[in-house]
Amino acid sequence: MDKVAIVGFYQVKPGLDLMMSPYEMLFEATRGALDHAGLKRDDLSTVIGCNNDYYDGKTISNCFKVEAGGAYMKDESKVEMDGAHAVMYGLMRILSGNHKLAMVYGISAPSCFPYESVRILETDPTFDRPINLLNGYTAGGMQMRAYLNAFGLSEEDIAKVAVYNLKNAAKNPLAIPEAQKTNITVDEVLNSEMLSAPLKKLMYPILCDGVTALILAPERQARKITDKPVWITGVGHFNDTYYLGDRDLSSCSSMEKAAEKAYKIAGINNPKSEINVAELFGHTACEDLILAEAAGLADKGKGLSLIDTGKLNPSGGTMAGYTPAANGLTRIVEAVKQIRGEAEGHQISGANKAIASGQVGFCAQNNIVYVLEGGE
Amino acid sequence: MTLNIDEEQDVSVTKGMIRAEFNFWVGIVMDKFYDGLQEKKFIGTKCSKCGKVFLPPRNRCGDCFAKAEDFIDLPETGILKNFTVTTYKISERKTRNVKKDQIVGLVQIDGADSAMVVPVININPEDLKIGMKLKVVWAKNIKGDPNDIAGFEPIGGV
Amino acid sequence: MANVQPAVISAGFCEHASKRSDVNMAELVNEAVEDCLNKAGSVEWKDIDYVINGNMPAFEGANMPELWMTDHMAAKNKPLLRVTTGGTTGGSVFVSGYYAVASGLYDMVLAVAFEQQSCGNTTVGLASVALGELSIYPSLGYEATRLRRNMGAGAAIGVASYQAMNYMRRSKATEEDLARVVVQNRRNAAKNWWTHLKMPTITIEDVLDTPYISYPLRFGMVCPASDGACAVLFTTEEKAKQIADVPVYINGVGSYANEPAIIGVDCGGAGQTDPCEQLGAVKSAELAYSQAGISFPNKEIDYAEVYSPFPNQELQWVERVGLFEPNSAPEAYLNGVTALNGEMPVNCSGGVNSTNAIGASAMERPAESALQIMGKAGNQVPKTVHTALGHGWGGAINLISHVVMADEPQRKFK
Repeated sequence: MDKVAIVGFYQVKPGLDLMMSPYEMLFEATRGALDHAGLKRDDLSTVIGCNNDYYDGKTISNCFKVEAGGAYMKDESKVEMDGAHAVMYGLMRILSGNHKLAMVYGISAPSCFPYESVRILETDPTFDRPINLLNGYTAGGMQMRAYLNAFGLSEEDIAKVAVYNLKNAAKNPLAIPEAQKTNITVDEVLNSEMLSAPLKKLMYPILCDGVTALILAPERQARKITDKPVWITGVGHFNDTYYLGDRDLSSCSSMEKAAEKAYKIAGINNPKSEINVAELFGHTACEDLILAEAAGLADKGKGLSLIDTGKLNPSGGTMAGYTPAANGLTRIVEAVKQIRGEAEGHQISGANKAIASGQVGFCAQNNIVYVLEGGE
Repeated sequence: MTLNIDEEQDVSVTKGMIRAEFNFWVGIVMDKFYDGLQEKKFIGTKCSKCGKVFLPPRNRCGDCFAKAEDFIDLPETGILKNFTVTTYKISERKTRNVKKDQIVGLVQIDGADSAMVVPVININPEDLKIGMKLKVVWAKNIKGDPNDIAGFEPIGGV
Repeated sequence: MANVQPAVISAGFCEHASKRSDVNMAELVNEAVEDCLNKAGSVEWKDIDYVINGNMPAFEGANMPELWMTDHMAAKNKPLLRVTTGGTTGGSVFVSGYYAVASGLYDMVLAVAFEQQSCGNTTVGLASVALGELSIYPSLGYEATRLRRNMGAGAAIGVASYQAMNYMRRSKATEEDLARVVVQNRRNAAKNWWTHLKMPTITIEDVLDTPYISYPLRFGMVCPASDGACAVLFTTEEKAKQIADVPVYINGVGSYANEPAIIGVDCGGAGQTDPCEQLGAVKSAELAYSQAGISFPNKEIDYAEVYSPFPNQELQWVERVGLFEPNSAPEAYLNGVTALNGEMPVNCSGGVNSTNAIGASAMERPAESALQIMGKAGNQVPKTVHTALGHGWGGAINLISHVVMADEPQRKFK
């Protein structure tokens, strides 16, 4: 794979309700990313947006985001999955040679829609939808039970991950204040409200409004634009079947395949020792572990050991504030910041090789992983 | 979106949703499945290549991409593969805690290779065990829709 | 950068109708995928290494339905991407199929677009394109009383009738000219196996006898709402030569975004003032032609499929994409230039005017163009087609997709 770099990025500081129109939020992000890279809108040749019509409450939600997204009279398209998937399309456009500078943004404002209720619209409309039992809570609950049972772990172990994530979030200036908990304890997590047994409220992320944007460029252009390009050296993308009963929920085969592919492209043989930072999009504290294990950062059932190393989700991950459609993009930007040494408050020293992931679907059905590297 | 236009011609927009009803064709094999429910019977499909049995039925096998259009009658009993207990209403406009336990089970009918997400009833959450045998409880009024499955209960009590 | 020449090797359809009540969405999509694979020679479903899917999200009321339809699209344990851009969705999915191959990352890509409009509620979906946006009017200093006037412009027919008025003013086209386009499309559709409205004996009088929906568009001029799906298989030049009798090379793609056309009265400075000007379509076509090395589209292109649910749009698009001089399309249609045996046949598949499964429509355009080059179209033109285009529009007539294909590859200068 030819080298493609992330040359600029911007994350609007998320909040439970930003009280901003989507266009204001989006403009702040796209303008911010261009300024960060020292570029003008004219320099862009393509824009890939990521938003979801149901989350926006609006059909063809990208068609009114043309101006604020910087896409007026640009080669534009939209990916309706996670922001990380939109990066894949942007990457393809750059790799084709047709485009030299691509803006990718992800946006959603959960303050304006009932996310958990909207998730029922993702289910099989011929059976699961009328039965009306699946959403993020219940799928997360079953996934956690499968994981705990498979490896003989306890709820306390997952609570430790939640504590780790929330304490990390406290060090991340772009985490929402509600998730920044410096003094949180395992007991507090275990005593928090039950969402869907055994999943507790503090093991589940808080939804918030937010936009993240980044700019991609091929090698030659990237070196001219920035002194600190962060290269995408590998990418893997896989999708599993929808049916939960067909899958082993204690692991994540689509993540395993995606990571394997990404490592192969990037020439990584031993992810455990080579990867310094992993920013993974886990939908619950438990899923963070499942994904990290699937990505080969720890043996199966031993993901908990990663919290001692600190390299898993130093930003707090999804638990620092969950913005659907932008979250995977935020993970990538957090990994980029680590490599550039710009992660204020939660910097991992010497971070040079990172992975970041995005996902959609119940129990991480569809995963995409990027290997990001600094230096030459 | 709700628009309120008042006397001073100020427009205020209140947050909300447009309520819209949606209908879905259930298709070739699910039609048969719902016909089966009307006779209090589970009808699944079988992959023509690997022989996997699907309930609820689907007409393609994901592993073989082969047709799965041979129907097969399945029993009323199965095992509990996974479960969760929630007090939240699933798809209401605002996610709402109703303080009433609702058991969501992933039930694999005997002879099937897939599992259904269905309610589990007549049991205390503490007594649930993965792998326990369950039997369907049919609704009082059978109409040939998903509500015909009132839930699954443990065989012979707990 | 990767120097890969993408090619189309197969295109499949399912039978389109107003209600495909016999199948659910997944099964509908599966029909098109199977048809596409059956026509792809030695290619098996296992060879596919990337799957892209799209439809108009809000119409069926199913969010990201491709997740559920995975098993029916041969996408289990493969990458699956969802691309949606409103009416342009099919075209955007087609373009992303091109990029998946052109990137050098994947070499057998299945792109699928569909719509089952008899599920769900299309008007609710379309109304939210227009009405959802009303919230921004107050911030533009807009008078509340005027909002009611704007509401009338909601949905596709509202947009199209303003566009038709603008076009008719510019070109002096008459309602009869519009009806002629409809007759050509529906007669063509009668000869193509998968289409919806097949009317082999329809006449201009028949069309003009129907009542107005929104002046100048009559009931008989408006596209139907269809259920249907389309699937296309993309691969590299090398593989295509081994697999297909006639590989169809994609030589240029463009998908420019214009500002949205909020049509009606003055709307605070936003929106296109003349919705039939279509700068986005002009620039998309220019980009695609320059990539394909085409200098004189009106001479070098042999066949065109444009996205025209309404007849005025067909006249307008063939001009904007450079096939005819401005305002000359009505005369060309009168003289049979665009007919099956004409010099520049347009929409011989029957076009969107005869079949509109919205999400799939913009993919069916380049797919049909590719089939014309292969010589395998349902309503094949008698002349040999070397170069053809497929066009799509969507959103508030501000999103465009434009694809140029040929039987010869165009080496790109990177």
